[in-house]
Amino acid sequence: MTTSAAPLPYTDTKPHGHADFYFAINATFRFILTRFGLDTLRRYWRDMGTNYHKPVSERWLQGGLPAVAAHWRAFFEAEPGAEVEVIEASDEVRLEVRTCPMIKHLREHQREIVPCLCQHCYYVSEAMAAPAGLTVRISGGNGACTQRFIRQSQNEPGQQLDQIKEAA
Amino acid sequence: MTGCYDFCGHYEWTFEWLRQLGGHELVTAYWDEAINRDAQVHAHTLITAKGFEGMKEYWGPTLADEGAVSHRTVTDTVFRIDMHECPSKGFLLRNGLQQYADYCDHCMGWIGPMMKDAGFVVDHQHNHCGQCWWEMRRAEDATAPSGPGELSGAEDVRLRPGWVGDAPMDTYQRATKPDDKTSA
Repeated sequence: MTTSAAPLPYTDTKPHGHADFYFAINATFRFILTRFGLDTLRRYWRDMGTNYHKPVSERWLQGGLPAVAAHWRAFFEAEPGAEVEVIEASDEVRLEVRTCPMIKHLREHQREIVPCLCQHCYYVSEAMAAPAGLTVRISGGNGACTQRFIRQSQNEPGQQLDQIKEAA
Repeated sequence: MTGCYDFCGHYEWTFEWLRQLGGHELVTAYWDEAINRDAQVHAHTLITAKGFEGMKEYWGPTLADEGAVSHRTVTDTVFRIDMHECPSKGFLLRNGLQQYADYCDHCMGWIGPMMKDAGFVVDHQHNHCGQCWWEMRRAEDATAPSGPGELSGAEDVRLRPGWVGDAPMDTYQRATKPDDKTSA
């Protein structure tokens, strides 16, 4: 398998994003949740993973787990304040998120965090991973978590949402 | 995780997702409620409390942090921005991203209601190519928008070659809503 030379499909002229955009991501989740409920918010997350992130899925399908690792290394390099270790093994890619940049920034600015915010990582990533024959398992949350990207064929037990903490 | 590095990409994608869910009214409600009154509450608080001074305090660091190439002109009666390279529209253009019909409307979608709350009206044009200008005046000030070069001199974006191109030009006059525009 080969890994694309450009692990992120969309690139900017700046090396890092603007952290205040985390305010808008949190506010978007709150807007959808308040108006339409959790099922619609989860549909939004799945649709984002399936549609907006389709180019990422295609890279993962082509490049397999090395492409997954390359993606997340480049991704967190561009997220200000992230402290994340990307561990690549033969059968999984594991993200050890020691400092979630979004939770960190929201807390630093005393923003009310949508309690189910950490679930979005599961729903978006699962929708990104599925077309590539992969699946994700997340444990922890609320500022630090572990995310494992594994092959669907490994037949691991499904994601238990109670393994993902509420954010505050 | 949903990141801030490519924020403008999934933000623009979200407009179209919301439009398909609840139509144009839901998109404009999103810009006001989620962006103006929630995400940008720091800007709303500054500008409603401090007027022009609040605009300086908000847009000074924000435009720099976002990587905008812009020029600001402030007098006692007007706050003007000439945007020569919009960082968010530029991101979309460079990456070939367009789901929603007019991404540029989102700025008036949140800034317009904020200015209304703060007692200001907005004259504004955007050319859909990453260039635009804004003039904020107090609502009771009936002064017409400036002519090209009149307020910001050579920094006036309207003096750029290519300011008027093939894309439609959207114009807002004394506006506070994203739909208060004419396209030509």
